[in-house]
Amino acid sequence: MVTQILDPTDERVPIKRQLTPRPEALHGTIALLDISKPRGDVFLDRLEELLHERAPGVETRRFMKPTVAKPAPQPIKDAILEECDFVIEALAD
Amino acid sequence: MHPPTKFSLFDADGQEKQFPPDGPVLLALVKEDCDTCNLTLPLLEAVHRDTDEGLDVWVAVQKRDDIDVLKDRHDLTMPLLDDDALDLSYETDIDTVPTLFLYDEEQNCTLQTFGFDKHEWREIASESMTLAGRPGVETSIDWESLPEQRPGCGARNYEPGVYERLQALKSGDLLSRLVDLASSDDIHEFMYDQGYTDGFPVVPPTRERVWKMLQGTDRDPQDEVAIVPPNLAPITVEKIAINAVMAGARPEYMPAIIALVETACTESFNIHGVLATTMGATPVGIFNGPIRDRIGMNYLHGALGSGNRANAAIGRALRLCARNVGGSVPGGTDRATQGGPHRLTMNFAENEDASPWESLAVEYGFEPTDDVATLMAMSGGPATIADERSRDGRGLAGTLAASMSCMQDPKSPMVDTLVVLSPDHAGIFGRSGWSKDDVRECIMEETAIPLKDRLRSDEAGAGLPPSVVERFGGEQALDLPVPKFQDKSNIILVVAGSSAAKFSTILGGWAGGVYSTPTSARIGSAGALEIRGARGADMDKRRSGGKDLGAFEPNVRQR
Repeated sequence: MVTQILDPTDERVPIKRQLTPRPEALHGTIALLDISKPRGDVFLDRLEELLHERAPGVETRRFMKPTVAKPAPQPIKDAILEECDFVIEALAD
Repeated sequence: MHPPTKFSLFDADGQEKQFPPDGPVLLALVKEDCDTCNLTLPLLEAVHRDTDEGLDVWVAVQKRDDIDVLKDRHDLTMPLLDDDALDLSYETDIDTVPTLFLYDEEQNCTLQTFGFDKHEWREIASESMTLAGRPGVETSIDWESLPEQRPGCGARNYEPGVYERLQALKSGDLLSRLVDLASSDDIHEFMYDQGYTDGFPVVPPTRERVWKMLQGTDRDPQDEVAIVPPNLAPITVEKIAINAVMAGARPEYMPAIIALVETACTESFNIHGVLATTMGATPVGIFNGPIRDRIGMNYLHGALGSGNRANAAIGRALRLCARNVGGSVPGGTDRATQGGPHRLTMNFAENEDASPWESLAVEYGFEPTDDVATLMAMSGGPATIADERSRDGRGLAGTLAASMSCMQDPKSPMVDTLVVLSPDHAGIFGRSGWSKDDVRECIMEETAIPLKDRLRSDEAGAGLPPSVVERFGGEQALDLPVPKFQDKSNIILVVAGSSAAKFSTILGGWAGGVYSTPTSARIGSAGALEIRGARGADMDKRRSGGKDLGAFEPNVRQR
């Protein structure tokens, strides 16, 4: 079975991926990732409040990128992957 | 083969063994289905037992599953190491098993051998005893019972398929981004989803296949061949090889494909315009010289159509390079209004033996022994011309002219047009003693109609603008004859197909041919040795640039 191929393009566009299948229900732990944009915390605070209210069994865990200008550091990505089942990222202002 | 200096492998118990160990070591590489390996494994076991703790004997087995088989078969106690990934075999570049390397206590490789040569093995066994601190003591091996010599077997790292995989993974030749597929991905669906294909399935460009494709050229995989419009992306030999694999090419087509990519991206050919135009043009490749037979191109039955791998894959590879690297995608920068099936691939070889004339390449200044590919931008056709009645050159040229006079529309002048004569039609010209120029001149005469009939009118809107009349002296020019073609050299004559019937084919150029010049490449092992535009600077002189005239400069013949 073919598992890897070489990219035939000029590589200026990221590879498009199939989306992970959507879950039918929320469970486990949800990562709330603040990308350090202004008021991202306000948005996530309210979202966390609503999640606790409407999905009582679900835990939340907060993460924050050190800067908006760069991709999340690997340790943050690893922690989200290891500790959480879902991630909600607060993008833009 | 090179004695290894450092490696680590796991033994049958999953323990990592670091090489070199402290002290002397005898290292062997073997595989299970080798009679000579099976003959010699008990000998290695004897050396292991006889040298006691004084020397390590390590045996690397080329397949993981064979470790237990060999252990049980020969009752082995020496460490058997797992070289299933063939890392050690690749690094040492052994081509035969068994191969032996004997190292002294300072890790210098003092003796090595492959296969079984009793004299050499006996020397290694004796030296092993010396290194183990037992000089002069014989091993328990019964040398008299052994044959003088046995050839070894081919090492697994050189087996077909395995060798290519190892080279692809370890040679460092391939630098393109690796695209991982999920276990649930269907490779073909995935490649469609990524937009990699021309609508037909493509061969997945695995590292092994791309590495094999690269063996078709002696050019460095990272050499930049051209800048491919419209994205103006650099294309390397490796990227060409990836797209060539996808197109279904064989490695021996690589020099031709590299040459075509380079030729297409010249100012002279202008692939940018050819693929962006709303007129739906495409590069058409015509091959001359010994390469036609060397790579198995078709110039006989069905030469312009399907069924031949070289014809189909070379043209398709060029198109896939333009799509995937250049970014030319229909509806994106490829603005073809309708396009045509020849935009998938259109590539053929000239039937030089059936032609009464010099080949296209020779006409363009190359030698008959040169391998040459000529690219032309074509937007019309292929359209069949049927003339089974003409028996001389004059009659046949008249039929060609009548058919060609309607190309694009009956009024507008054309520049380049490709006429692919069947051998039967070409033979008529040959028997009539007609040269290529005789045919062209007859077509020029036969397609000439009065200027007034080339003007736009309410009854037929296409044609030249009325303002053109003033440029040629006003009303008195209305009856001057204007041939369909700007110049006789725009009528490009080649011969292809088999001697089946009297049918030929015409393909109309793009925008009259003024924005793209037929361009030829002399092909060497690394791609194009030399690239020439068929008309060079003459093209610029012909461009009117005036909006009223569009791209055309009508050839009004003054009386």
